[in-house]
Amino acid sequence: MEQSAVPTGTSPTTAEATGERLIPLVELRGISKSFGHVQALQRVDFCVFPGEVVGLVGDNGAGKSTLIKIISGAYQPDSGVILIDGKPVTFHSPRDAMMMGIATVYQNLALVDQRDVAANIFLGREPTKGIVIDRRRMVEESVQVLQQLRSDIPSVEVPVGLLSGGQRQAVAIARAVHQAAARLVIMDEPVAALGIEESRKVLRLIKQLKAQGRAVIVISHNLEHVFSVADRIVVLRRGRLAGVRRREDTNAAEIVRLIVGAEHL
Amino acid sequence: MEQELQSQNFPQEVSRCGTNSVDAVLDELESAGAPELLTRAGPGGLRGSLQALLRMREFSVLSATILLFIALSLATPLFPQLDNILLVARQISILAIIATGVTFLFISGEIDLSIGSIYGFLGIVLASLIAKFGFNPWFALLVVIVLGAAIGFVNGTVTTRVGIPSFIVTLGMLSILRGGALLASGGWPVMIKLPRDDPFLNITSGHVAGLVPTQVFWMIGIMVIGGFVLSKTRFGSHVYATGGNQEAAILAGINTKWVKTINFMITGALCGVAAALLLGQHRNAFPLTGTGYELDIIAAVVIGGTPLFGGAGSILGTFLGAAVLGMITNGLVLLGASAYFEPVAKGSIIVAAILVDTLIRKRRV
Repeated sequence: MEQSAVPTGTSPTTAEATGERLIPLVELRGISKSFGHVQALQRVDFCVFPGEVVGLVGDNGAGKSTLIKIISGAYQPDSGVILIDGKPVTFHSPRDAMMMGIATVYQNLALVDQRDVAANIFLGREPTKGIVIDRRRMVEESVQVLQQLRSDIPSVEVPVGLLSGGQRQAVAIARAVHQAAARLVIMDEPVAALGIEESRKVLRLIKQLKAQGRAVIVISHNLEHVFSVADRIVVLRRGRLAGVRRREDTNAAEIVRLIVGAEHL
Repeated sequence: MEQELQSQNFPQEVSRCGTNSVDAVLDELESAGAPELLTRAGPGGLRGSLQALLRMREFSVLSATILLFIALSLATPLFPQLDNILLVARQISILAIIATGVTFLFISGEIDLSIGSIYGFLGIVLASLIAKFGFNPWFALLVVIVLGAAIGFVNGTVTTRVGIPSFIVTLGMLSILRGGALLASGGWPVMIKLPRDDPFLNITSGHVAGLVPTQVFWMIGIMVIGGFVLSKTRFGSHVYATGGNQEAAILAGINTKWVKTINFMITGALCGVAAALLLGQHRNAFPLTGTGYELDIIAAVVIGGTPLFGGAGSILGTFLGAAVLGMITNGLVLLGASAYFEPVAKGSIIVAAILVDTLIRKRRV
């Protein structure tokens, strides 16, 4: 990040190139978090810019989940600050984070299989006209948000239980996007349970989110996937920041070295 | 922005982990543009509505209702006559009213075994308030509805806040309230002395136009309201979500404990209404009323296509389930079959209904 590129205008995809000039959407400074005697995170700095895809990688127990749970408001850090648009904030719950436009797609997706796509996208936030649910608005907005994501779901009135793994992921992402009018979408292992074809569709969804100017943080064990979507790759090891690399400036071998620690190779 | 995405060049090293192949596919997908537009619903027209009919959860119970109706009509000419149909309708009214509350409960993933006892206990309380304490019958009815909701609140709170399964909690309540009914009445029926033309009697168990029992209107009214709440309101939506995937519902900000507790309260309150309809009919409350009734009510709900584990089901299904049970009882009487045969027939229907439903579901998915 030494070169100080000139801002090239409004395109968010150039955000990482102009990192020093732009204010990060979310920035963590010196975040520490421990559970009993286990130091899950130790003075970790992290940032994500608007329209940027950040791949978060690391071995099991490196602190990835703890880090995203702090960003999504599920955990509160022991020390350190969280800045949104350059202003310090405190999240007491995932709701607080959601209010700031941070949406999380949970690994288990949290969908109700028996209900249709529209009902799932609006789960818990059903719009009403008087006391009656505004089904028409639900259907229209669901179609809209899924079209934005270029999802291949045949109809928003199909029960989610009948959809494929990738389509279910799309519904969960659509909900996250619609819910928070999300500026940042956090995804924890979005393709872990999916086949090759379905994984590709989800990766395409991530690119679509980016194309809409939203930021994405993706946790994945699959470096191939991380390299195909991430603008920057953040490596954690044993609760510390092991390194941050722009995709263009690194390769899989270097990332693996960072993940396991150079002394082990 | 699209072009930028596609024009990004990837460093050579990356190809070592095979990234280029994935990227090629991704780019190909992107340049292919958006997939075809989402259809709002399935195919329209006659074919569409036929498919919608087949997809309906209530399809099996609807066909069972129609087939049973035709079979009984062929077996005995007495069956399809208007006064007999109205008799069946009156006979299922009380059951269907309680079953409406139980449908809410089942969809939210809980069960209430104490319904028969709540119904019997509230009957004794209602009759005692009127006969022994001189309450105005309507005020007494209000008290009993509130009491029913309070019993439901206890069932719901112990289930959701303490975390004891509702099966156990309501099994305990079943026993407690049966004992309560016996204690409150000393084991004897409680008779109310109201003039024959008292509006309370007319409205709870009279006839409209000298023909249609008012109980049928109570049933229709309560089921229409229940069906509306379940399918058209946010609360109804939350009931389905709670039973479908409780964890997901909680993450979506739905207070699932409250949803379930409210459903227990609705069920209890409806037991109070049902108790009043029965009291109006007999003008006597019996302490053993409702013994074993929970099985009939749960049978109606289950035959109606609401699964025991929640997440799906409908009031229409429950109505049809109650109708099937009512027609069997009535048909067996008309055919002169032994009364001892009735439980056998009901039990077989319950198992058959679940069997058909399971087979259809297996083929569907």
